Amino acid sequence: MDWIRILMSRIAALFGKQKRDAELDEELRTHIEFAIEENRKRGMSRQEAQTMALREFGGMTQTKERYRVRRGLPWLEEAAGDLRYAVRQLRKSPGFTLIAILTLALGIGAATSVFSVVNAVLLRPFAFRDPDRLVVLREAVEDPSKGERSSIPNNYRHLLRLKSASKTIDDIAIFGQRGMSVSPNGDYPRMAGAVAASPNIFRLLGIQPILGRDLVEDDARQSAGGVVILSYEGWQTFFARDPAAIGKTLRIEGHPVTVIGVLPAGMRFPQISFSPKTDFQETAENALLFEPLVPSKRDLTADMGNFNFKAIARLKHGVTLAQANAELESMQKAYTLSAHLPLHFGIALTPLVKDVASGISGALWMLFAAVGAVLLIACVNLANLQLARAVNAERETAVRAALGASSGQLVRSRLTESLVLAFVGGLAGAALASLGVQLLLTLVPANVPRLDEVHVNAPVLLFACGLSIAAAVAFGILPALRSLRVPPQTALQANSTRTVNTLEGRRTRNAMVAAQVACTVVLLIVTSMALRGFSRLLVQNRGFDTSHIAMAQTDLFAPAYENEGPKGQAAKLAFADRTLAALGQLPGVQSVALTSVTPLTGETWVDTLTRPDHPVPAGKEPPINVRWINPDYLPTMQSQLVAGRNFTAADRANPYVALISERTARESFSGENPLGKQISQLVPDDMHPITVVGVVADARINGLKDDAAMVYLPYSAFTPWTLSFLVRSSQPSSALIPEMRQTIWQIDPQVAIPTLKSMDEQVSDSVATDRFQAMVLGSFGAAALLLALLGVYGVLAYSVSLRRQEFGIRIALGSSKSALIGLVLRQGAQPVFVGVGVGLALATIVVRWVHSLFYETPAMDPLAFGGSILLLLIAATIAAIVPARRAASIDPMRALRTE
Amino acid sequence: MGNDKSDVLQGTLDLMVLKTLESMGPLHGYGIARRIEQVSGNSLSLNQGTIYPALLRLEQRGWIKSAWGVSESNRRAKFYSLSPIGRRQIEEETENWERIAATMSRFLAPSN
Repeated sequence: MDWIRILMSRIAALFGKQKRDAELDEELRTHIEFAIEENRKRGMSRQEAQTMALREFGGMTQTKERYRVRRGLPWLEEAAGDLRYAVRQLRKSPGFTLIAILTLALGIGAATSVFSVVNAVLLRPFAFRDPDRLVVLREAVEDPSKGERSSIPNNYRHLLRLKSASKTIDDIAIFGQRGMSVSPNGDYPRMAGAVAASPNIFRLLGIQPILGRDLVEDDARQSAGGVVILSYEGWQTFFARDPAAIGKTLRIEGHPVTVIGVLPAGMRFPQISFSPKTDFQETAENALLFEPLVPSKRDLTADMGNFNFKAIARLKHGVTLAQANAELESMQKAYTLSAHLPLHFGIALTPLVKDVASGISGALWMLFAAVGAVLLIACVNLANLQLARAVNAERETAVRAALGASSGQLVRSRLTESLVLAFVGGLAGAALASLGVQLLLTLVPANVPRLDEVHVNAPVLLFACGLSIAAAVAFGILPALRSLRVPPQTALQANSTRTVNTLEGRRTRNAMVAAQVACTVVLLIVTSMALRGFSRLLVQNRGFDTSHIAMAQTDLFAPAYENEGPKGQAAKLAFADRTLAALGQLPGVQSVALTSVTPLTGETWVDTLTRPDHPVPAGKEPPINVRWINPDYLPTMQSQLVAGRNFTAADRANPYVALISERTARESFSGENPLGKQISQLVPDDMHPITVVGVVADARINGLKDDAAMVYLPYSAFTPWTLSFLVRSSQPSSALIPEMRQTIWQIDPQVAIPTLKSMDEQVSDSVATDRFQAMVLGSFGAAALLLALLGVYGVLAYSVSLRRQEFGIRIALGSSKSALIGLVLRQGAQPVFVGVGVGLALATIVVRWVHSLFYETPAMDPLAFGGSILLLLIAATIAAIVPARRAASIDPMRALRTE
Repeated sequence: MGNDKSDVLQGTLDLMVLKTLESMGPLHGYGIARRIEQVSGNSLSLNQGTIYPALLRLEQRGWIKSAWGVSESNRRAKFYSLSPIGRRQIEEETENWERIAATMSRFLAPSN
């Protein structure tokens, strides 16, 4: 334990240094006096005695130095010295210090904010047991026409078979997610996120209820009474965290259901999409309710169709994702063959964390890269400033080197200055990050998963800390190394302003400007592609008009509508008719449309179009989206009829008529006139053939990026359980919306209204991700441009200030102002052109990765490339013209006299 | 420096200081340096100054203690003395040294 004692005594020696030095001086003085005394006794003269004593002692200064090195912690003392020196230097130039700290604070703050979102949404594992072993399981089908595989949700029976036979997975939980209407005390129902899951779900995830009991297999029997487990949030929402909630009832979809358990706080159920393609168009509503999934007879027996289930599986210990995928895939393929299924099924497993974020991960990583580029540009700016300072301090450095400072000490003291800046900048950046996170959260689309987990927490702060150090090294190392290469005699001999403007110094500065310009070009090109993609998305022809429309989605989950036969149909139809009539009576209303699917909510009710006169092999029928509408739908949406006729009131008696979109006509009736042709099997439980009576212009009603094939049918043929009413009115939607809510609840207070807003708002919400991307990238692009502008300006202004004398001489010799301006501009143009060239080359590589993130954006967009370069060149010219004019206006007399 | 004087091995000086303090009792730096010179018969090239970092090293390890006192000639001086740990350490260091010396002499013995 020697070293501990030594360390302690060394640390103790850091204090009371003056007293210790004085004691050492006294001790050594006494030593010499003893020696002199003894020498005198031997008969030497006073002078001889003293010389002898000092010689015997050896070097007095060296002894003291060696003693001090051994006494304290020299590296710490040196670091403290460096620190004091750095702070003193920075205080001497407050302007530079302020700019450097601000630049760093903004750069680190922005990067840290984006990282805190990346961390929560993409990196942080779920709070489940061994979350690494949880995978999302989907079936995969080959599409031979396109030669690609696509993932689809699962068939219940397929899952049961895989679960019982697999040797690579522990268990599979099967579930569905949707909004359910809940009325706690018989008041108006509200929608709450709900999960209907196989009872093993919580055991699979490794979660235990904090109150009551877990689900058991018996809960999932047909005969079992309804039970529900609440999330902690649900417990708070419906029972204000009353411990006596267990055993109480909630009305869910009109049925009394008993609360049997409450889950721990912080348990968030992941939002799994049906297929990776649907992105995250479904709302990321937090699940409050967990019901046992009761499989129907059809679920247990049907091998085809009915692909309606989501599944999470847990891999066995030591099994890789690839091994499990291979095993399940071969089992599934074998079954497909032995059971003679018409489609070839495979399996697609994805890690849970990755799957949940799949819709947003590309956009987030790109933003992260973009903010990294901005930070890099900021660092280059600072490096340039530091370099200029190092050059100015060359004389001082030379003096220190001549006095015996080692090269390590010189580098360290310059690097310390950068570290001090980075430390303060990083601290301010971390503080800014908490503001930045708030700002990002208001911009981020609400349906991005796990947003409630976004915080500035320990890993984020650690990131900020690492980033500051990296930044300090990045912008401090070049100037620091530079101070090594200056031979003291050159720096001391030469006139200071001439040494610094060496060719080599200029090259370094130009290289940095070029790097900055290159980064900026890449960022600007990516930004302009995002902006162009976004504006393309907004201005393209949608095929419908949203202005002056308010929409209400209603969910008819009440016992009156439950019957799947004619009784339920009659009740739903009656509700639809009465609501249409009542909404039509509201003041200012021009027309009221009914549709079965709220516009801009993605693909739903996907079926296949079969034609009795034109049979296609099973699995090859073209997919279509079915929408149940009223005759006023087309005029309300202002969608154009291309051929045939619209539905009329007369179709009510014989509702077996259909309108198809142009795309459906192209895909299912290629080269034929679809009018009068028959299609079959679209009305549930009804085999009556349907006649095509009209063709409607294509409309992007599923989503602005989505031009889906549609078949419209009259709602009188079948009325689904979800109905959206679209009201076109001269009144503003703010006045209309409360009236619509009141009207609907006057007709049936048991109906839930999960969505009630203007169509414009719905359109805007549907492109939230693209807007977020465009806005954040836009601000990063602007920041990069500003920094590059500052960089070009700074370097040129500096170089002009160094060459004052030269310019003075040129003017004195008769050089014209325009010639001088041209000289400076040419000097500034060189690194900019190099940077543009490198940036263009980089951009062609980068856009190949990112163009798919933007709407219908090709990898090569000449306008984005050309526009970005033009913008950069204009900015660079503006930045260069100021120092150039300054050079031209130098007064030769004064410039020559100053030296 | 003449070749008749040998440089002091690192560590050797420590043992010399400890042994000096063991035989002489509390002593100041000059006294220790002089004693070592006398015992070695002036055959060591010891700068007296090197004794001080060595004393500091021993003190940091807790083998010796120091205190200000008054010398025979009535001068204020810092006196060093062995600590209990140092006393124990002498044996260990002595054994160490003897082992090295024995090994060295075996190498240096004329081979036969």
